[in-house]
Amino acid sequence: MLADLGFAALLIAFFASIYAAVVAFWGSRRSDERLVESARNALVVIFPLMLLASAALITLLLQSDFSVAYVYEVSSTEMPTYLKVTALWGGQAGGLLFWNLILAAFTAAAMLRKWHDERELMPYALIVASFTQIFFLGLVTFYENPFARADFVALEGQGLNPLLRHPGMIIHPPMLYLGFTGFTVPYTFAMAALIAGKLDIGWIRTTRRWTLVAWLFLSLGLILGGRWAYDVLGWGGYWAWDPVENASLMPWLAGTAFLHSVMIQEKRNMFKVWTIVLVILTYLLVIYGTFIVRSGVISSVHAFAQSEVGQPFFIFLALMTLFSVYWVLRRRDELGSQNHLQSLTSREAAFLLNNFVFMGILFATFWGTNYPILSELVVGERVTVGPPFYNQVNGPLFLVLLLLMGVAPLTMWYRTSLQRLGRAILGPAAAALAFVVALFALGIDNWAALVGMWVVAFSFVLTLLEFWKGTRARVKRGEGPWQAFSRLMARSRRRYGGYWIHLGVLIMAFGIIGSYFFQQETQIRLNRGESVTLGAYEMAFNGIRQYAGADDLLIREANLALYRDGEFLRELGPRTELYTRTGQPMTIPGVRSSIADDFYVIMVNWETVTNDAATFRLYVNPLINWVWLGGLIFIFGTLIAAWPEAAEAKATTATRTRRRTVVQPV
Amino acid sequence: MTDTSWTRDADTLLEPRTNRLKFVVGGILIAAALVFLIVNGMSGNTQLYKTVDEYYAEQSRLAGRDLRVAGMVLGESIKFTQIDATHSRLEFEIVDDLENPGQRLRVVAMNEPLPDLLQHEAQALVEGRMGDDGAFHANEGGLFLKCPTRYEEAKPPAAAASGGASHPAKGSTQ
Repeated sequence: MLADLGFAALLIAFFASIYAAVVAFWGSRRSDERLVESARNALVVIFPLMLLASAALITLLLQSDFSVAYVYEVSSTEMPTYLKVTALWGGQAGGLLFWNLILAAFTAAAMLRKWHDERELMPYALIVASFTQIFFLGLVTFYENPFARADFVALEGQGLNPLLRHPGMIIHPPMLYLGFTGFTVPYTFAMAALIAGKLDIGWIRTTRRWTLVAWLFLSLGLILGGRWAYDVLGWGGYWAWDPVENASLMPWLAGTAFLHSVMIQEKRNMFKVWTIVLVILTYLLVIYGTFIVRSGVISSVHAFAQSEVGQPFFIFLALMTLFSVYWVLRRRDELGSQNHLQSLTSREAAFLLNNFVFMGILFATFWGTNYPILSELVVGERVTVGPPFYNQVNGPLFLVLLLLMGVAPLTMWYRTSLQRLGRAILGPAAAALAFVVALFALGIDNWAALVGMWVVAFSFVLTLLEFWKGTRARVKRGEGPWQAFSRLMARSRRRYGGYWIHLGVLIMAFGIIGSYFFQQETQIRLNRGESVTLGAYEMAFNGIRQYAGADDLLIREANLALYRDGEFLRELGPRTELYTRTGQPMTIPGVRSSIADDFYVIMVNWETVTNDAATFRLYVNPLINWVWLGGLIFIFGTLIAAWPEAAEAKATTATRTRRRTVVQPV
Repeated sequence: MTDTSWTRDADTLLEPRTNRLKFVVGGILIAAALVFLIVNGMSGNTQLYKTVDEYYAEQSRLAGRDLRVAGMVLGESIKFTQIDATHSRLEFEIVDDLENPGQRLRVVAMNEPLPDLLQHEAQALVEGRMGDDGAFHANEGGLFLKCPTRYEEAKPPAAAASGGASHPAKGSTQ
């Protein structure tokens, strides 16, 4: 009954999205506002329908109704309630439903909010938005129906995979989905602007905050995914250049380039084609990323099953590419700009270089990810490219980006005098050099790491100086230091939010360089009472405890004592949790975190009878917590940049009120 | 498409020819650097990707080469042996299709933890090369696992075939 209701909601929503596309098209042809409005209502109503379908599925999950195949696959009676709810996105079909829910929410919010501001764009925005919605609703209704009945009777479900029972994994998919679907809004309005031929700054203004919000969620998704891998997967790392990871990185790269390119279009009315191409690229990469993950087309460490959704995805991707390219070409004359780059040392040129480097990283990542497919097409053999490829190619490119991060804010629009630039960077360059020399004196002699550290320190100092200069200027005008600093943030949120983001990225880079170049690991078997040394740490093994946990868990936990330089630090308890019903084990590391490094240990194997010997794998990951700290600052900066500025908010309200008064019949 | 916005109408007063040349040269240099990085990064970092049966069909050509082989794990073949304090040996066999097994490939991974996902029906990706002992020796950190994902056909008695979501296995480097 509930399953039928849920499916009915999907079906109605699917037809509503088709109705919206057709009627919006018709309305735009006949310039009939009522038709356009009807189309909008159809598109907006999809959101409550998706809420209904999701509520139906969640209820089925809570009721453990195993007559529904999806519930059987991802749930079981003894799972705690919060896991039953989050099992909504624990598998393919439910994940797609959840995706549709978020897409519908974004679409409805965008269509309701921007109705008055961009009236000419609306019919086209409705058409483009319905394309995306039709496709994803079609998938979940006809290919991956989460309400499909099981063709067998089961008293107990299989339960959510233990690896997914982690807070990071519960939040990570919704964040990525929010980021992915969020980028459909700028795309929708960019295409609408193209079709309407209204290529001024309007569509960018309309979608600026949507873009930042989408980008925020995508960044959060990437960071949380890394954290989950680090906490749960037990290999001491957080990023492996796996195709599925790359699938979410690629739209992020294009989206980040877009965010930068937009600034030049706003300030100098340049790079119009480029900006629009970037937003299209971001959208297509979102679809492509979803395609990679869901179709299993590139055999990945963690691809979904080889499923039936591959073909429709491919067709949709091809259609949207053709559609986008057609409109860009058709409007190419209107996309030209009146202004030109004048100097290699201008801020415009710095932004352009930034965009090129982002595209370089994107291209290399795309190349590596798709190489198995390309090579099979060309030479008939699948050839894969390993993580060293990405590190060797993208490492230097990211370093150029970090360098630009420091230098670009010093450049001026139009042109910058080299002398002035040189003076501004001399001090920070020397300070960074002193830092690197100090590192060298401490015994770090890996030149690649030292170069990386120099760049990070250099740009970090330059970014801090930006805050300093801005605050000092205000202090001179008579403000108190704290007041000056906080007003600086409040008055130009985008600019200083951006600098906070840069600081976050630089701090992450510091952690990444440290943990990538200087990770230490070893694997050893210890008898009770024995100990092992790794780096400055000594770890003693004091036996294994065995006990029953919640649900059907059987837990074996090692008792370890950790010392550093002979001093006792704390006890660690890496453990293995065995889900006895399914036989699925799960290894949980013991970690001691500090600002300098993580000591990370997993129990590999143990003497089952006597419990007095076990094998451990140990890692020391230097500076890794800087990655997470930088991530937090990054998110903080994005929030500052996306927060509506007080003045701007007032202005918008004022315009609205004014407009309304004008429109009102007298 | 990237350069249309700034090269069009290049002969305006604001943008002398030499200036445009600078940007073209700069662009070419960046592209060249990218190509160099990619070509350089590819060398030594690529592997042929084979199924078990493909491997045996081309055995003579592939002998001793660094490869990536994919297959499904036979649960009863998994064996973890602790040789001495610092050496362990993980062994298992993979086939292309459990219902219709062709050739079996024996995989050996030294000093590799026993991954949580290494179970019957799991899909394994192994990077390594064939040893003289007839077993396929995984590189360090060269063992990757996917959990059984053919949940669409899963029937109640089937082993822990869970819901098709995605999981890397441990065993990766970096």
